[in-house]
Amino acid sequence: MAEEIRAEMVANVWKVVVAAGDSVEEGDTLVILESMKMEIPVVAEVDGVVAQMAVNEGDVVQEGDLIAVIED
Amino acid sequence: MTTTSASTDQPAADHRDPELRLRGLFDAGTLRLAGARDNSGVLWARGEVDGAPAVAFATDATTMGGAMGMDGCLDVVDAIDTAVREHVPVIGLWHSGGARLAEGVLALDGVGRVFAAMVRASGRVPQISVVLGPAAGGAAYGPALTDIVIMSKAGRIFVTGPEVVRSVTGEQVDMERLGGPEPHGRRSGVVHITTKDDASALEQARALTALLGRQGRLSPADVADQTEGHDLTKAMPAEASRAYDVKPVIKALLDAPGVELHGKWAPNVVTTLGRFAGRTVGVIANNPLRLGGCLDAASAEKAARFVRMCDSLGVPLIVLVDVPGYLPGVGQEWEGVVRRGAKLLHAFAEAVVPRVTLVTRKAYGGAYIAMNSRSLGATAVYAWPNAEIAVMGASAAVNILHRKKLAAVPPEEREELRATLIEQQVQTAGGVGRALEIGVVDDVIEPEKTRLRIAEALANAPAARGEHGNIPL
Repeated sequence: MAEEIRAEMVANVWKVVVAAGDSVEEGDTLVILESMKMEIPVVAEVDGVVAQMAVNEGDVVQEGDLIAVIED
Repeated sequence: MTTTSASTDQPAADHRDPELRLRGLFDAGTLRLAGARDNSGVLWARGEVDGAPAVAFATDATTMGGAMGMDGCLDVVDAIDTAVREHVPVIGLWHSGGARLAEGVLALDGVGRVFAAMVRASGRVPQISVVLGPAAGGAAYGPALTDIVIMSKAGRIFVTGPEVVRSVTGEQVDMERLGGPEPHGRRSGVVHITTKDDASALEQARALTALLGRQGRLSPADVADQTEGHDLTKAMPAEASRAYDVKPVIKALLDAPGVELHGKWAPNVVTTLGRFAGRTVGVIANNPLRLGGCLDAASAEKAARFVRMCDSLGVPLIVLVDVPGYLPGVGQEWEGVVRRGAKLLHAFAEAVVPRVTLVTRKAYGGAYIAMNSRSLGATAVYAWPNAEIAVMGASAAVNILHRKKLAAVPPEEREELRATLIEQQVQTAGGVGRALEIGVVDDVIEPEKTRLRIAEALANAPAARGEHGNIPL
């Protein structure tokens, strides 16, 4: 099942840490957002392979925007 | 190989068998059934969990899908009333389609009596529910009225099933999507813990029964020295602007890993039961990894319910604060961040159990008040040396307070002025110095003395227990 990772709040995409095709484990950092003057890592909540990265560094994401898709 | 036991000739036991499930819950050889098995649809028993006495009941899914009639409901009421009389935890193992249709209103009356018994017991003895199969209709509200709900992989909770949903609203949904571990673990907040199978669901129920049923005594001497694995700062990044996961910090605080409740729902606040200096405590912590650690409507409600549960069961609280404020937004206001945030203020202000707060990095604004501040009656409020307590972050405050002054200087001098003003702001309104001065922080403590100081503060406070039930907020 594909797991969609979505932004929880408005933020700037500061760093993109993984790329499509990478294997990730639960707890691995996918991207680091900047919001509320904080660097906030977005982590994988499941083990799997990154099927899609929907953001680039410098993007602004709104709450609910797709960040990444992870396939189990 | 010769067979010496007749049991090998029998078919494999039905995993839904209630006696088998109760055996899986209790210590081996301690199960004592209350009464003979009949067709009431419920079995209840006394037994031991980690050597401590407990009561449990199980619906019998092998008979009419576990549907509950008056006789079965009276068995559940007996079990709960017995637990209250004997001051022991009561665990319910649920797999039931709801009220027995054939009995009609009589069954509804029975289910209502179960609810009333649960509310009578609320806050008096720990009540834990384990949902092992579908728990529908009346059976859905049974678990929901208890302190903690654990759901196994096959567990389902819903008021009306997929067919009714389809016929009324036209929505196409299966049982798992409607009321399985994912929706209840993440979206609704109905379920506190989801597990991969029945065995681990029962294991979690045992761990919680032990924590709540046999709480132990605080022994500050046991945490006097910082030992391997209990360095709280190790789990935190050096840069103040970097978010981190607070769960390893909680792990380092507790004697041994605790049991997190509502792990995937409202994850910006973490609520964990565990042992600290030998005693069961409840830990509430902001998690900067999620929503920057902001409080919001759901997390305030989650924390409020946890505080009230711990207070009603006499479990002291440790509150780890690193909170930038309340999450702004139209969605939040419309979701009732004011009403639901008020629950947290009410819960802390009402709580009489010893409750100690530690500000690790920052505590701003209304969220500072809500996180067990001095004004809400905290037993003690501690802060680490670099902590900041303020109405808002110093740089944000300077931008508002000195907007005109900043605009008046030439652009090339602006940053220098801003830095000076921020420094002044930290000295007069932020940092921890001012908070100490006015007495809202009792002491600045070194991270390596954290466990000892918290243990001493909890141990020196009079033991107390809130006289109220634990309404599922």
